[in-house]
Amino acid sequence: MKYYSIFFLLLINFVFSQSKLPNLSINNLNNQKINLNETYNEADKIYVFSFWATWCAPCIEELNALNEVYDEWKTELNLEIIAVSTDDSRTQKRVKPLLNGKGWDFEVLLDTNQDLKRALGIVNIPYTIVVKNGEIVHIQNGFTPGSEDELHLKLESL
Amino acid sequence: MKKTILFLFALNTLSVLAQEKKEGLLYGSFESNSQWYLNDEINGREIKHPKDPFRSNNYLQLNYNYKKWTAGLQVESYAPNALLNYNPKYDETNLGTYYLNYKSNKIDVTAGHFYEQFGSGLILRTWEDRALGINNALRGGRVKYSPTDYLVFTGLYGRQRTGFDVANSDIFGFNSEFNISSLFKTEVSDVTIGASYVGRDEKTTIANPKFKSLTNAFSGRLNFSHNSFYVSTEYAYKSEDAVIVNNKIDNNFIKPGNAILINFGYSQKNLGLDATLRRMENMSFYSEREPDLYIENGGSTSYNFNDKIVNYLPALTKQHHFNLANIYVYQVQKIEIPDPAIAKIGEIGGQFDIFYNFEKGSALGGKHGTKVSVNIADWYNLDGSYNYFPPSYDAKFFGSGKKYFSDYNLEITKKINDKLQGNFAYINQYVNQKFLNGGSLVKTNILAADATYKINKTQSVRLQGEHMWADSDKKNWAGATLEFYYNPKLSFYVWDMYNYGNDKVGEGKVHYYNVGGSYRKGASRVALNYGRQRGGLVCVGGVCRFVPESKGVSISLSTSF
Repeated sequence: MKYYSIFFLLLINFVFSQSKLPNLSINNLNNQKINLNETYNEADKIYVFSFWATWCAPCIEELNALNEVYDEWKTELNLEIIAVSTDDSRTQKRVKPLLNGKGWDFEVLLDTNQDLKRALGIVNIPYTIVVKNGEIVHIQNGFTPGSEDELHLKLESL
Repeated sequence: MKKTILFLFALNTLSVLAQEKKEGLLYGSFESNSQWYLNDEINGREIKHPKDPFRSNNYLQLNYNYKKWTAGLQVESYAPNALLNYNPKYDETNLGTYYLNYKSNKIDVTAGHFYEQFGSGLILRTWEDRALGINNALRGGRVKYSPTDYLVFTGLYGRQRTGFDVANSDIFGFNSEFNISSLFKTEVSDVTIGASYVGRDEKTTIANPKFKSLTNAFSGRLNFSHNSFYVSTEYAYKSEDAVIVNNKIDNNFIKPGNAILINFGYSQKNLGLDATLRRMENMSFYSEREPDLYIENGGSTSYNFNDKIVNYLPALTKQHHFNLANIYVYQVQKIEIPDPAIAKIGEIGGQFDIFYNFEKGSALGGKHGTKVSVNIADWYNLDGSYNYFPPSYDAKFFGSGKKYFSDYNLEITKKINDKLQGNFAYINQYVNQKFLNGGSLVKTNILAADATYKINKTQSVRLQGEHMWADSDKKNWAGATLEFYYNPKLSFYVWDMYNYGNDKVGEGKVHYYNVGGSYRKGASRVALNYGRQRGGLVCVGGVCRFVPESKGVSISLSTSF
């Protein structure tokens, strides 16, 4: 019985919920606090937040794939990709050298104690959210080769 | 449970009403991990499933936001029982955490459970890791005050969560962080300093204790970065406290603890260099000094479940993504003097990383570029003199004792053409099991290769092969993984790890095979797996949980909304 109730509640939420970017501040690579709502709020601009970690192979594959098409996408869409590292302090120090070693051009945020990941209820990474006008308009959960094309189609339709 | 449902229902109704008026927002997530354990037989060795073969861990998290206010709760259900070898305190269904938060530009106040980390976590980190069964949130109050962009103060008080209860001690904390570069608008990209204090007050039942009930821990840190160069350092000190010997307070073994962490590196386009050095002495810090003992659980203690842990001391080694490279994993070594020959009081060592990107069009880069990374990690006992009875030690600041562990590895990622991408790794490990968890000294060499082939726009296949040469313990292993991405939503895999070199009496050659698939849509994911689980450590973020050998069918569900 109790499980049914929970599922029922979840169902209601699925129908009615519409998620927003949480009102949180997390640090960038220069230890500056970045308030998500205040920073990523340009009207109609598309913000793609890709959650990754230095130890997550498919995440790095995804960011490599996005990096390859980033310049091309930017010419046709008003878009910004933000790579949110969920590395905890064990691996966080590897973020900075890894970025350049990979030659990525993304803005990187450090979700060191996973406050943002938790607020968004993310269980597994890679996990990508697309935000437009403060609202989460698309979620891509996981990455398989070619997912970037699917994401591209979605972004064009927004 | 009824109350919880009622509460959920009220919250839900409220949210639905509020959303119609576009005022409030309800969000949350649900995760469920279940397994049906089966009986198994490996070379005549019977592995019986537990009495309750069906076990399930479930988490429902709900938050409700209205203007500057947010309230939330997490209901957890371990019914009929938690998955094998989780903290026995996770039992049945109950309210796990709850909070009420007010947040404005300058002030952030939380009452209830909260997660916090000071600096890198050397003296305080509370976090949740469901795969490890860690949830050491503090229950109390926290105020974060940020008068300007460059200053943040945090003050907190709480009792630490253990199971569905809280530990029997009080934790006080204060943290300050000052971003000097933002204040002076300097040319330097970042100069930040921070200072923290954590106090743990636990009354003791010991007669005439030679230690104070309040243990104080301090830490100071500095981050500096300019153009391509960066350096950061952190020092932590823990005041004198009783050392735990054989799970009991030893009133004649009173020692302080300390840790120093230094990180520096150089990073420019296509090149990254990084070094991390750390020395730690007697830095175990729990909200209750003595662990809970679980006789029925094979004599394990709450330490084994990372229960009531106050600080975060991760193993600083590379977290590998190949299966065989995760058989011998390193865990941070804390104080332990099981016999005079194996006296551990901490660790000293370091880790070095090199990342290099050979650009497209260069000689080694080829048409699509080549990415290379090298990682070297070495960890040792502290150099010093030890006394077994009565237990005591005297550690030198510099110098190292017996080697615990090393991992030297090289990884190359190469896109060969638009359809094919490859990854190759070589890993060399030195595992002094005698010091780490008992057993022999093991030296390994691992070769692993991985290729992903894109069949068409949405379908691809990944093949991975691995081999580990190990000179001792369970000896050689071979492994292979085949993964098929039917489309971006649906994928299947089959993998096997074959311990073909095992010549241990009563063990022999063993296949650890798994087959499964996952389906993802939007924020939801369903995964199904059948297979045999290797017994050993499951680690996340350098913290590990032991899982016993088992066979079964598992299903995982997760969603957020």
